[in-house]
Amino acid sequence: MPLPRLLVTLHRHRGLILVLVERELKARYRGTVLGYFWSLLNPLLLLAVYSVVFTFVIPARVPTHVPYPLFLFAGLLPWLFASGAMLDAAVVLLDNGPLLKKVMCPPEVFPAVTVVSHLVHHLLALPVLLAAMGVAAATGRMAFPVTALLAPLALLPWVLAVSGLVLLVAALAVHFRDLKDLLHNLLSLIFFLTPIIYTPELVPEGILRRLVLANPVTPMVVVYRDVLLLDRLPPLATWGWAYLVALGCWVAGAALFTRLRETLVETV
Amino acid sequence: MSDAVAVRLAGVSKRYPMRPHRGRFHSLKGALLRGELWQREAAAEGFVALSDVDLEIRSGETFAVIGPNASGKSTLLKLVAGILHPTTGSVEVNGRVTALIELGAGFHPEISGRENVVINGMMHGLSRAEVMRRLPWIVDFAGVGAFIDQPVKTFSSGMYVRLGFAVAVAAEPDVLVVDEVLAVGDQAFAHKCLDRIAVLQRRGTAILLVSHDLGLVEQLAHRALYLREGRPVMCGSAAAVVSRYRSDVASEEAGQQAAVGGKRWGNNDVVLRSVELLDGLGRPAGSIRCGEAAALRLVYEVRKPQEDFVFGIAIHREDGTHVYGTNTDLDGYRPERLAEDGEVRIEFPSLELAPGRYLVDAAVHARGGLAYDYACEVCAFLVTAPVGWPGCYAPTHRWRFAGPVLQPPPEEA
Repeated sequence: MPLPRLLVTLHRHRGLILVLVERELKARYRGTVLGYFWSLLNPLLLLAVYSVVFTFVIPARVPTHVPYPLFLFAGLLPWLFASGAMLDAAVVLLDNGPLLKKVMCPPEVFPAVTVVSHLVHHLLALPVLLAAMGVAAATGRMAFPVTALLAPLALLPWVLAVSGLVLLVAALAVHFRDLKDLLHNLLSLIFFLTPIIYTPELVPEGILRRLVLANPVTPMVVVYRDVLLLDRLPPLATWGWAYLVALGCWVAGAALFTRLRETLVETV
Repeated sequence: MSDAVAVRLAGVSKRYPMRPHRGRFHSLKGALLRGELWQREAAAEGFVALSDVDLEIRSGETFAVIGPNASGKSTLLKLVAGILHPTTGSVEVNGRVTALIELGAGFHPEISGRENVVINGMMHGLSRAEVMRRLPWIVDFAGVGAFIDQPVKTFSSGMYVRLGFAVAVAAEPDVLVVDEVLAVGDQAFAHKCLDRIAVLQRRGTAILLVSHDLGLVEQLAHRALYLREGRPVMCGSAAAVVSRYRSDVASEEAGQQAAVGGKRWGNNDVVLRSVELLDGLGRPAGSIRCGEAAALRLVYEVRKPQEDFVFGIAIHREDGTHVYGTNTDLDGYRPERLAEDGEVRIEFPSLELAPGRYLVDAAVHARGGLAYDYACEVCAFLVTAPVGWPGCYAPTHRWRFAGPVLQPPPEEA
């Protein structure tokens, strides 16, 4: 079975993966004044801009029982995690070509590094969301969600799906160099098809609503935001869909990567 | 050198896909819809970089791969290193492999030397703790001093390759694969590199090296493989394989056809008729007692008179261990003219070889390396002795003691 072998390889090189993640984070902030603080500052600025724009400039009409900037932010965080990791995945093997060709480095290490470092950024952004929720709760704009305790369960399908998609994109991008541009367009299309800046109920009934609900990313966003922000337990079916999509992405990505693994080094 | 096989290649071929304009798949659509992604490539297309190589390298052995450019040397190295996979055949490597293909290839310019060493060491298969333990040695060996905590982009190119070399050899691999980067940096560091290689050899590391420096190959390697256009031409003791390669290069430069044959080659301007061992009385002999007088006789036929010629012999064990070799040029004889058939002898007043079977290579060639006739293993003989000493050298000797500690052996009848 190829899939367990992928996991065995990753497990054997876990030390290397962690060191490479460290390198990635260090290299990114080397020479900056604020250093790791940027990881917090970036989402903070994003949240601040959304708050100003959607409160004062164009007050949002989205019916939520929480402030809209928070609603948007909570949906955006996992999306940025996924899209950022996938866009990086499109270049990760090409960028590390010298390591693949001149040093013996198993290729699956690099997609893993991409996933882990984006996950770290995601986890560093979560405190910003939690703090903002705390402020909103303290000022009586919303109740602090008890369901936030289930956050790990809501994050897990994202990690699974992103791992699979990153493997898939990384392997395909070696053979199809234009995948990166294609991915950019595809991602913005899917972004607007996913209830991140709106709720599914806001979409007019009919073909458009069905399209949004059929979008496999929808259950994953819904689960994440319901649990983390909206203090709602999504129905079991939604959980099931989210996990099914995640597992499907992982298996497909891992299978394709394993299939193309031997051709990667010589094509890079 | 032990008998444990460190690297074994059986029937290995490597074909690179040839696709100047397109990728492996004609289009993303085709790949996904027609399922090309899941199919093997058609067997016919592509460029064969290596075909049908069989090879065995034992632990502690140093094995060189030589040949002209584009003969498949680096491909062979990458197959052993596990960077590439063979198209057909099998590659078996026992133990941890380290590849010295491009020094410092994995260094990230923005982070410090220390952090790069950790990452590089871990890529060579060490754990983080092992790298940390070896770090002082690496810093000292590379001679980068306080620079180790500076970003690698501030390093001089010499520091860069020295650090790369130090990390790779610090890993103490079971198999070391080296592509042309054995002696880097200035003279002093090049010596340090070679010293380190010698340490690894003694430790039992199998070394597979590719080099165009034939002198280095003769100096370091026990055996060698000569590749040409991806095909093995000759495999054997390093000295003989290097001679063969030199001869081929020389004959190509002279516009002659490259020699053929695995164990004998040359342009046949002068031909060795026979090569024999003679005993002390000048009679041909198949075996000889250790320490007796002996000679090697080369009978030659001149087909084209020569004014540039060297006669040479080499003696080695059946396992390829080089025992002795010399030629008339090394011994200071200047060629005058070779116009008629004749014979040359090299006489040993006392052939002090340990008991066992020996093989003789004999050659007549130009001083530049062009072979007239180079014959490997053209003659074999046996050395006998009352005691089965190990090794290859058995000098006459006696023991002396300050006191009557040991009884001398009874006189031999």
